[in-house]
Amino acid sequence: MTRRFIKPSVLALGLGASSLLLTACDGVSVGVGVGYGYDPFYDSMLWNDYYHDVDVDIDVNRPVRPDRPNRPGGQPPTRPRPPVAKPPVTRPPAARPPIHRPAPRRR
Amino acid sequence: MRIILNSALAACAGMWLACIPPASADTPVTYTDDGRALFRFDVPDFWTLRTGGIREIEDTQLGDPRAVARVMGMRPVTDDNVWMGFVSPNGVKSIADGLRYLEDIDKFLVKEPTVTSTSDRRIGGLPARVIRGTGNRDGRGVNFTATVIDLPRDRVAIVVAILRNGADPAYADTLNAVFASFQPAR
Repeated sequence: MTRRFIKPSVLALGLGASSLLLTACDGVSVGVGVGYGYDPFYDSMLWNDYYHDVDVDIDVNRPVRPDRPNRPGGQPPTRPRPPVAKPPVTRPPAARPPIHRPAPRRR
Repeated sequence: MRIILNSALAACAGMWLACIPPASADTPVTYTDDGRALFRFDVPDFWTLRTGGIREIEDTQLGDPRAVARVMGMRPVTDDNVWMGFVSPNGVKSIADGLRYLEDIDKFLVKEPTVTSTSDRRIGGLPARVIRGTGNRDGRGVNFTATVIDLPRDRVAIVVAILRNGADPAYADTLNAVFASFQPAR
């Protein structure tokens, strides 16, 4: 009786464990390190579309961008002074008595 | 007791059967442009799809922002040797235009491309031109298949499939299955 009981239960446990092991080996459930940080082909297809309708050869040397023109006045203008004065940095605390003060005990 | 054990065994057998991968459970995806569905295809199981969208990019040297069409890219989750991309560029109306569009492929997608074969076929019931070739990218050889599919109403679909050297050749079947699932949106 015990033999008959042990044999199928070992079989069942073994089969169950192996199926669990197989699912664990699937390897696609956790995607660490396979993100889209660098996706060269995707980016290339974007750039292919960027240049498709314009006859631009990106390897050709383009004319260099001209330098920034000089200021007409020479010196940069002085900083404007703001109309609102800054408040004083330190201010004495307002001398107001507290609204509720402990009253002397009544007789 | 015997009945319980038998049912437990049956349950284990069921788990075994469930472990056999299902024949096909692909995910249909529709490429739309401006709210209009253009075509659809199936994403294979355990692949990731990057949908993208209409956006503007700018070459920092050129300083010229331009709109680019939606690019959909997909690849197996655990393998970056295979890649497949879809785009329906604006203003490309015919297969001849599409071929002109693909002429510049060497600047970006594949370096030093060599076309090995060009063929006309029908994909999803639509006329298409398939260009196969080899090249390299990031110091590794790649096989590419660039396809121009003539969609109705003056649009084309550009499909590029890339297999890097060393990729599992079985992926070719997967890529072909994606082409087989391609159909224009009604």
